[in-house]
Amino acid sequence: MHWRKLLRVLHRDIGYIAAGLTIIYAISGIAVNHIQDWNPNYKIEKSTIILDSLPKNATKDETVVYVLNAINEKGEVKNTYRSSPNELEIFVEGNTILVNYITKEVKQEKVNSRLFLKETNDLHLNKPKGLWTYIADIFAVALLFLAISGLFMIKGKNGIKGRGWWLTLIGFGIPLLFWLYYYL
Amino acid sequence: MKRFVLFLLLSVVFVFNSHSQEGVKYGKKLVLKEKTPISELFKNPKKYVGKTVQVEGLIVKVCEKRGCWIDIASDKEFEKIRLKVDDGVIVFPMEEKGKKIIAEGVFEALVYTKEDLIEQGEHMAKEYGTKFDPKTITKGKTEYRLKGLGAVVN
Repeated sequence: MHWRKLLRVLHRDIGYIAAGLTIIYAISGIAVNHIQDWNPNYKIEKSTIILDSLPKNATKDETVVYVLNAINEKGEVKNTYRSSPNELEIFVEGNTILVNYITKEVKQEKVNSRLFLKETNDLHLNKPKGLWTYIADIFAVALLFLAISGLFMIKGKNGIKGRGWWLTLIGFGIPLLFWLYYYL
Repeated sequence: MKRFVLFLLLSVVFVFNSHSQEGVKYGKKLVLKEKTPISELFKNPKKYVGKTVQVEGLIVKVCEKRGCWIDIASDKEFEKIRLKVDDGVIVFPMEEKGKKIIAEGVFEALVYTKEDLIEQGEHMAKEYGTKFDPKTITKGKTEYRLKGLGAVVN
């Protein structure tokens, strides 16, 4: 088989395999690129209400039951924590409730992970570590192969010796210009 | 070909479901045999600065955006310590809030000037959408924290 034909076959088949991961990495790339403006992993709802009263001389457990009933929170209590003499934090699955004994303020912070987006971000940022590290390495090598093989797949005036050369030069030039602008 | 793809997908599902039941592990494996109470670190900070210690406690706060730090409640009431990890090396998900953790890290002393604290306060207020009054900062302070190496959350 001619080398250029072999290159095209390999480029095609590796391209098919890499398509899923490329889409995942691209979506996650946009999501985490704007991390200063939003939380790409979680939707966090914060709310505050003031209760009319809190039970006097109640134990911590009694206060927890009272507050959870008052805010209609049915989730399982994971733990509690006294962050200050006047405050009690209640950790419920997906919700953190901060009770102020003095002001009777109850602050809630409900956390829901962004379905699909959180999973893609975890993979993109290699949160699983272990085996995924090698999968991501193989994917990176595959991308490298796709980029290099792509340069030589076509011959003629649209190939690397013609139009392709100038477009490739632009591709290298963009990051180079930004690097010069930011670091020199 | 169809059978091969099916086998591959099932293998992936199996691998991702075969996590240890002994808690979720983060970063390096825990190596120390003895735990140091967090209250002891605050009581005698000079003794521990620069040393690797193992602590145990409840996770009471998690960095919302990057999972790059957590606050661990001390054995002493109203006290907590921040465990900071390098961005991306360890990522703590928000679901870990309210769970028990055993963590190892290097005990550090961070010295902040008044100006540093004002800048920090303004940054945190912006990030969390809270109010911050610079007048509440009258002088600098030394803050103690752990530079996280590894942890197990149950």
